[in-house]
Amino acid sequence: MARYLLLRLGDAIPTLFLVLTLVFIAMRILPGDPALAALGDAALPEQLAEFRERMGLNVPLWQQYFNFLGGVLTLDFGRSLLSNTPVLTLIAQNLPYTIELTLAAMAMGIVAGIPMGVLAATNRNKLPDAGVRLFSLIGYAIPDFFLGALLLITFALNLGWFPINGAGTDFASRMHHIFLPALTLAFVKAAFLGRLTRTSLLEVLGKDYVRTARAKGAREKRVIYNHGLRNAMLPITTGLGLSLLSTLSGSVAVELVFNRPGIGRLLIDAIAQRDYAVIQGGVLVFAVFVVLINLLMDLVYVVVDPRVRVS
Amino acid sequence: MALNRRSFLELAAATTALTAIGVQASHAQDADTLRIGIAANGPRHSDPNLTTQGSDNWATEQMYEQLVRPDDGRFALTPEEYLPTLATEWTQSEDAKSWTFKLREGVQFHRNYGEMTSEDVVFSFERAIKEGTNRTILSNIESVVATGPYEIAITLKQPDVNLLGTSIFNNNTSIVSKKAYEEIGGEAFATDAVGTGPYELVQFDPEFGTRLKRHEGYWGDKAKIANVECVYIADTTARTLALLAGDVDIIEAVRAPGWIDSILQRDPTLKIDMTTPGSFNTLHINLTRKPFDNLLVRQALMHAIDRPAVAAALAPMGGVMAGLQPDFFPAGFKTEDLPAELQYPYDPEKSKALLAEAGFPNGISFDSLCSQREDYSSTMLIVQELIRPAGFNMNLIIGDHTAYHADNRSDKNTLAMHSSSYPPIPTQIYFQQLASASEVKSDGSGGGNYSHYGVAMPGIDDLLNQALTASDYETYLDLCKQIELQVLRDLPLIGLSTLGFTAVRSAKVDLGYEVESGYARWRFHRATKTV
Repeated sequence: MARYLLLRLGDAIPTLFLVLTLVFIAMRILPGDPALAALGDAALPEQLAEFRERMGLNVPLWQQYFNFLGGVLTLDFGRSLLSNTPVLTLIAQNLPYTIELTLAAMAMGIVAGIPMGVLAATNRNKLPDAGVRLFSLIGYAIPDFFLGALLLITFALNLGWFPINGAGTDFASRMHHIFLPALTLAFVKAAFLGRLTRTSLLEVLGKDYVRTARAKGAREKRVIYNHGLRNAMLPITTGLGLSLLSTLSGSVAVELVFNRPGIGRLLIDAIAQRDYAVIQGGVLVFAVFVVLINLLMDLVYVVVDPRVRVS
Repeated sequence: MALNRRSFLELAAATTALTAIGVQASHAQDADTLRIGIAANGPRHSDPNLTTQGSDNWATEQMYEQLVRPDDGRFALTPEEYLPTLATEWTQSEDAKSWTFKLREGVQFHRNYGEMTSEDVVFSFERAIKEGTNRTILSNIESVVATGPYEIAITLKQPDVNLLGTSIFNNNTSIVSKKAYEEIGGEAFATDAVGTGPYELVQFDPEFGTRLKRHEGYWGDKAKIANVECVYIADTTARTLALLAGDVDIIEAVRAPGWIDSILQRDPTLKIDMTTPGSFNTLHINLTRKPFDNLLVRQALMHAIDRPAVAAALAPMGGVMAGLQPDFFPAGFKTEDLPAELQYPYDPEKSKALLAEAGFPNGISFDSLCSQREDYSSTMLIVQELIRPAGFNMNLIIGDHTAYHADNRSDKNTLAMHSSSYPPIPTQIYFQQLASASEVKSDGSGGGNYSHYGVAMPGIDDLLNQALTASDYETYLDLCKQIELQVLRDLPLIGLSTLGFTAVRSAKVDLGYEVESGYARWRFHRATKTV
């Protein structure tokens, strides 16, 4: 098991290296001048030149690249070109909000999605099934930012039940602030997980061992949960991993619509302003999460399905 | 963890209870706190010497002061209109090169950092000259020295009859505490500076914004509202909703056609505060691109752009520009006061005739780059439609705002729109957008003269140099008016419209004065709020 884990971690290093290199190249290819973005379009040539020198933007690209990689190895991601704040500080300030939002959305999505899938599968072609399928269709079709705005207008502006923006300070206000953004992200998760659970469960419920369990007189609830759902968990686990990744990426739009702090909002601003160091640091955080989630999924496979362990 | 029915119900009950508590906390209205929703993702600096994004200045405007200021809500149109602030009186030598300022006694810095003296003023100016973000405007200052505990002398390299406007009333030359800087340290000072203004910094929070409280030791009338909070909400929908829901009291407006109407439809009680002129939206004609090197083509373009229509489309924020200065600025002209041949009334037929005379009877087609930012894209889309009937087929390539400016700075554009704010110091726009010293370069090392005026054809350099070194104000203004006329004759740069900086305010907030002109920020020290 430890060897398996080490091998997987070893695979992650070239992936992260590749991501960092691609981001570095992509940002330099993208038109736009960080000095101009920082100092404004009325800045004079000498001000721009001095800014580039101060921020190390005037050295050759290969040197900037090695400076950047050297910094990453020592966990020094540089400073924001715009605010001069260390990138690590910016990430540390924003990451908890994104993690909090992602986990809340996942929790909501799981709590709503899996029981919905079970309900649909156990009532195949009946009204609850049709309802869940319709919900899934809407969930897939509706974009995050649109749903977010809709919820914001209805529940925050018109009904006044929730705050319009921010993330809150104490525990109670943080819970209050996170509800609508998490619900926005959870809507799609629930649709996806509901549909996935339905399909997986239906497939399992048609298997011989389920028929055998029923023939042996096992209670229907036991058949569905112990024999059915437990065996349907492998594809659902994959779905959970994918959901987690899409929730993380979806947080970008939601943080913007709900004006919540977070890595997504930090990145959007940094990209618009060509704040290279922040973009590189922010993307690295996302990449590390993707790698870790994939690793987690691999480990869960091993636990859920012993056949993976053998192979 | 298995989630059974009981634990699910417990969790749901807890969430509902917390939500109920939160509703009360969030919607509590506080008459002693004024909240403004700012159109950016977060604050960057609170040190007036380091701000680069305009939105930071909403906070610095409340916290810092200069030696002189214009009255609240307006620009000082002439040197006489500046009010004594941290200086009580000032004199200038006949050649306008030596200036002395007597400082106000008893002015206290925030957080018990003591009384402001000439040492702080000299320190603030020297810091601005050496490390500030806008050093160019201070490059004419030879020295700033203390001539007493409450007096300083400024010596200039060249005369500047407009020193109060060019250098003294400037965000960068706000007065900060030398003692605080030495104690707090340069790096921390960037987000924790100490000034003398009616509000002092309480918290600089990159996620939330800036929190300020009333400066109880303020030398003048103390601020009426105890706290000001600058909240950063970049997304336009979120910002609009925040105002409508009462989460914030004021927001920066979206400067796009129809936005004001739509928010007023939602809540007609809202108040609109707007500066005139606001931004100067100008259109550079690249004189090195054929056929725009031909004066007839440029005249045709000028007659094809219905400039009053451009301004009207941006109503109520848009204003007409007869030349490059708004008509109420000292060097500005009203259209009817211009010579007839420089008025360029909208006339597509004349425009077509001029194009034909220039050798383009079938019109011309060309590409132009444009920023996607709402004020740029909406203005240029209007221009595109206006000039089409006259035979100008402009293919607009709309893209990212940062990339757009970089492309302009690399001389890649044909008709480059530029939006910038200027005080009533006419030489600033001439120097930045028309002087040969600011000519754009293809390697990006040049300035903001995207038309190559003064290089591709003779420009206004001589007149500008004379204006910049004039030792009396009337001569200065006369030279600036000559520049206006020459630019209208040569047409390297077209004044499209002005676009007021706008904020929308809850009817519960009274600013205490009218916003008429000035920069894209104003003070809240006279504001009151009812619940």
